[in-house]
Amino acid sequence: MKATSASTYFHLIYKNIQLKYKQTMFGFFWSLLQPALYLFIFVAIFSHIFQSIHKYPLYILSGLLFFVYFSEGTNRLCLVFLKNASMIKSIGIPKSSYAITELGSEMVNFMLGLVPFLVIMYFMGLELSPTLLYIIPILLLFTVFIYSIGTILGSLNVFFRDIAILWSTLNPALFYLSPIAYSSDLVPADFRYLVYCNPLFHFLQIIRDVLYLGQPPSLHYSLICIAMTAIFFVIALLIYRVTKNSFISNL
Amino acid sequence: MDYAIKLDNVTVSYLQSRNGVTSVKEFLLKASFIKIFKKHQVLHDFNLEISKGESIAFLGPNGCGKSTLLRTIAGIVVPDKGTVDVRIPVSPLLSLGAGVELELTGYDNIRIALVLSGNYHRKTRREMIDRIAEFAELSREQLKKPAKMFSTGMLARLTFSSLMVNQPELLMIDEVLAVGDWGFQMKCKKRIHEIIDNGATLLFVSHNPKEAIELCKRGICIIEGKKIFDGNIDEAADIYNKLF
Repeated sequence: MKATSASTYFHLIYKNIQLKYKQTMFGFFWSLLQPALYLFIFVAIFSHIFQSIHKYPLYILSGLLFFVYFSEGTNRLCLVFLKNASMIKSIGIPKSSYAITELGSEMVNFMLGLVPFLVIMYFMGLELSPTLLYIIPILLLFTVFIYSIGTILGSLNVFFRDIAILWSTLNPALFYLSPIAYSSDLVPADFRYLVYCNPLFHFLQIIRDVLYLGQPPSLHYSLICIAMTAIFFVIALLIYRVTKNSFISNL
Repeated sequence: MDYAIKLDNVTVSYLQSRNGVTSVKEFLLKASFIKIFKKHQVLHDFNLEISKGESIAFLGPNGCGKSTLLRTIAGIVVPDKGTVDVRIPVSPLLSLGAGVELELTGYDNIRIALVLSGNYHRKTRREMIDRIAEFAELSREQLKKPAKMFSTGMLARLTFSSLMVNQPELLMIDEVLAVGDWGFQMKCKKRIHEIIDNGATLLFVSHNPKEAIELCKRGICIIEGKKIFDGNIDEAADIYNKLF
């Protein structure tokens, strides 16, 4: 297999970003709209109910941003091999590069969006300190996690086309199952295992450690996140390995 | 004899779903939990040796494995068995229109096509873009428009020109010559001859034996993944014509 140059990756990422905002009036600002709208709704409706949660808007926003990144990322990766069918059939670069660049452009987009939201968070009571830098390794780990889930779904979606539909239907369920607008302490003890089963819960914990509580991420949850990411990454690698050579005849 | 490309007992197969199961829904309904996939063999113990500078046409009915053969040589498909040894650089762009983004401008599309075919230097790319535009006979104004505004022929000119301006060592063409108007087709054939004269190896897949005779010296007939003839192009064209 030919080595793929960094330049190829760069151009594919650049192309994805260009495509996303081609012929839109507000371009990049559209991607800020979804979290902003959710934030507004939750603050307006739930801030009275969840008065026990200190700095509620900041609590929601810190979780919401990363959830939107997760759902956008996985949904785009679901379809990435279908979208690039013609290229996969005729260009000898590794098929995973389409997934990497798709998520890469999503990550660039997310980081650009993070800048205005950090300003908003500052007004909501975010403390500016070097501790905030912990968000960078967390973001990278989370991106690998999204890549793994997305590659599993994307590879299977080549063979079973309704995986993508199923996944986008499951997304809202996952949203409500994750403690984004509520606190996991409010879940009755009998059902708390449901919360623990959700991989996103553990990520939300370390994200909130940094963005909400202003402290370094807890070791306990960090290790869980690293282990989960490693497991999903290996599964993704295996599924991708087994299926990739048959993409061509099924696309 | 020294070879440029050598295939030894290459077997290629794909996983294909049985009973046309293409969704989880059907999978559950048909309850075909065991063996939903079956292996479909495309190439059987294929042997081939190509020396540098040869021009070879692959002839055969649809679905006989010609495109898979080219994809195997290009490294897009990995064989189950056997070895593929390619000693010359492969220009990876096989089919036209791959990677064309209709929302992006003609210039953007040329740039992407060039990057994907391995031109990583900004300077050489800039110079090549001008030559491509000239070959395609498209003006600056046209190239600044999004590709969706191009006519089918213009789009074909654009992608084919991106391929033609290079002097690849190995040129693979998969049923793409029937693009553009007559004049442009003539121009492309002339350019292909030039590329071959400059020492390139040509692998050409076509359903038009006349075109194959025009461009190639050696012909290979393939039926159901097996080579049935390998030799002079005129004989190969005869065999191909008798198939139907």
